[in-house]
Amino acid sequence: MTEFLQKEQDTTDHEISEYLETFKPRAMDWAAARVFAVKNLRIAVRYPANLLIWGFLPILWFAPYVLMATAVGGLETTAHFTEISGYDDFIQFVVIGWFVYMYMDNSIWGIGNNFRWEQFSGTLEPLFSTPVPRISILLGAAFSDSIQGTIQAVILFLLSTLVFGVSYAVTAILPTIIILLIMIIGLYGFGFMLAGLILVFKDPSVLSELVSETTYMISPVNYPINALPRPVQFAAYLIPTTLGIITIREIAITGFWNLLSFLQTLIILGGLVVLFWSIGLACFKFAEKWTKQRGHMGGF
Amino acid sequence: MEQEKETIFHKMWNRDGWRAELRAINALALKQWQVEFSYPLSVLWFIVMPFIWFIPLIVAGTAVTGGAESASLNGLVGTSDWVTYIALGSSYTGLAISLMWGTGFALRREQNVGTLETLMTTPMRRDSLVWGSMLHNLQHGGLGVILQLTVSILLFGVALDWWGIVPALMIVGLSVIGMQGLIFTVVCIVLTAKQGWMIVELLSSTLLLVAPISYPIAVLPSVLQYFAIASPLTWSVEGFRGFLMEGIAYSGALNAVVALIILDIVFVIVGGLLFRYTERYVRKRGALSQF
Repeated sequence: MTEFLQKEQDTTDHEISEYLETFKPRAMDWAAARVFAVKNLRIAVRYPANLLIWGFLPILWFAPYVLMATAVGGLETTAHFTEISGYDDFIQFVVIGWFVYMYMDNSIWGIGNNFRWEQFSGTLEPLFSTPVPRISILLGAAFSDSIQGTIQAVILFLLSTLVFGVSYAVTAILPTIIILLIMIIGLYGFGFMLAGLILVFKDPSVLSELVSETTYMISPVNYPINALPRPVQFAAYLIPTTLGIITIREIAITGFWNLLSFLQTLIILGGLVVLFWSIGLACFKFAEKWTKQRGHMGGF
Repeated sequence: MEQEKETIFHKMWNRDGWRAELRAINALALKQWQVEFSYPLSVLWFIVMPFIWFIPLIVAGTAVTGGAESASLNGLVGTSDWVTYIALGSSYTGLAISLMWGTGFALRREQNVGTLETLMTTPMRRDSLVWGSMLHNLQHGGLGVILQLTVSILLFGVALDWWGIVPALMIVGLSVIGMQGLIFTVVCIVLTAKQGWMIVELLSSTLLLVAPISYPIAVLPSVLQYFAIASPLTWSVEGFRGFLMEGIAYSGALNAVVALIILDIVFVIVGGLLFRYTERYVRKRGALSQF
């Protein structure tokens, strides 16, 4: 019996040491990112009502703007709004704003809060002790949130077009997908930054609310960007969704696709991707180090 | 030492009456302030929150009207000052959200930090737990209303009729009673559904949609107008704004007060009974600390 146990022990030791011997730290572990994304999606699928509700709820949030515009401006879109925005249908204008802004909201509440949920579930410390690069975990969370966000945004878009009877140019589908893809990659960096801040400040509801409401306030979702004061407009352009909303709105409503301005948008969005990834990763790295040094990782 | 302990125990055991409950309610409200102040971001959020909700409405309204007057609103409610109309409506919303979310989820927060069962075993009435949180959120939301109104007056030229402040506060008092009935319902959802925040989000978003915060209920589809009439939030916002805009001569005063009294009675009875039943049901199932 003792001999058998000794043999078992030897085998285990051998397996562990072999694993440790062959283990090489990597800059990016795509398999880990995939596993993490699949894990999050499995949890999401367990609550299918969530996706439906989050696709439907934003209608209840933007309907007050439509009703307010009706109350203060009358049933038709006002001449002043058309003059400053360039569009003659307020509802058509707002629906696109909300459709694109859903991705922003998702990056704040999804990617940013991911580690807080792991902390609530008691799995954050084990997760951080796994031999995978943090970027893999972050990207895994981001992938799953993008899939969920897209489902919610599409539900919102379809429901809104049905409820409010608005339509858009079919030619806008391809440029919209291209812009959304680059914008989403930029938003990952934004989400990483928030994830870092949440690790430090812990209270995610307040931080997320603060960031979410501020970005919403300065984004051209319910009003054109030139309705904002000039310094605020500058801040708004630093948010990846602002350019996304403006360009997608123009293409979807007018059906006109100006290649030059489209390429300009892509270049600026690319710059924002680099900026947000650099800030986001640096912020997260610092936050992780700061939290670990103080033994705050699992704290509330 | 032993004798002292025994005296404290006896004092606790023999505590009874509404004054003891009031002390407990006050202690719960103070505790929540202490928790909030231990998170510096919460303090910042508390200060900026009223403006963050209000400013997008002002920007959107300006983009639509192009000025401070609205002929369309004048035709609907008899005032063309849409900024004051929206400022007063949205200031009350902050209080309503604070009451509904803050109080509705108070028990869930205690559950998250593992203190719900301990609180439930203390010798105080179960509903005092909810009233304590309500008192805190009333103070929290009330300060937010004052802050938003002050800034609205100073920055956006919002005009108030100062004679309407006292009756507007009385409307808040009536509103709190009806809202408490709603809050009890929210607490029941939280206690039974555990992850009931989604149902609460749906409920509160619907209530806010049908409430005349930034538009009169006349612009709602007719089906939603029926919901609006049955919601205490509708009459609270109408009464609060009406008194602050028109003073004691507010033309819709009688309607708002009578509707609120009727809805208060209905909501408190239904909400109170629901809470009583749910709390017993959850304890019987031993599900207080389950998620």
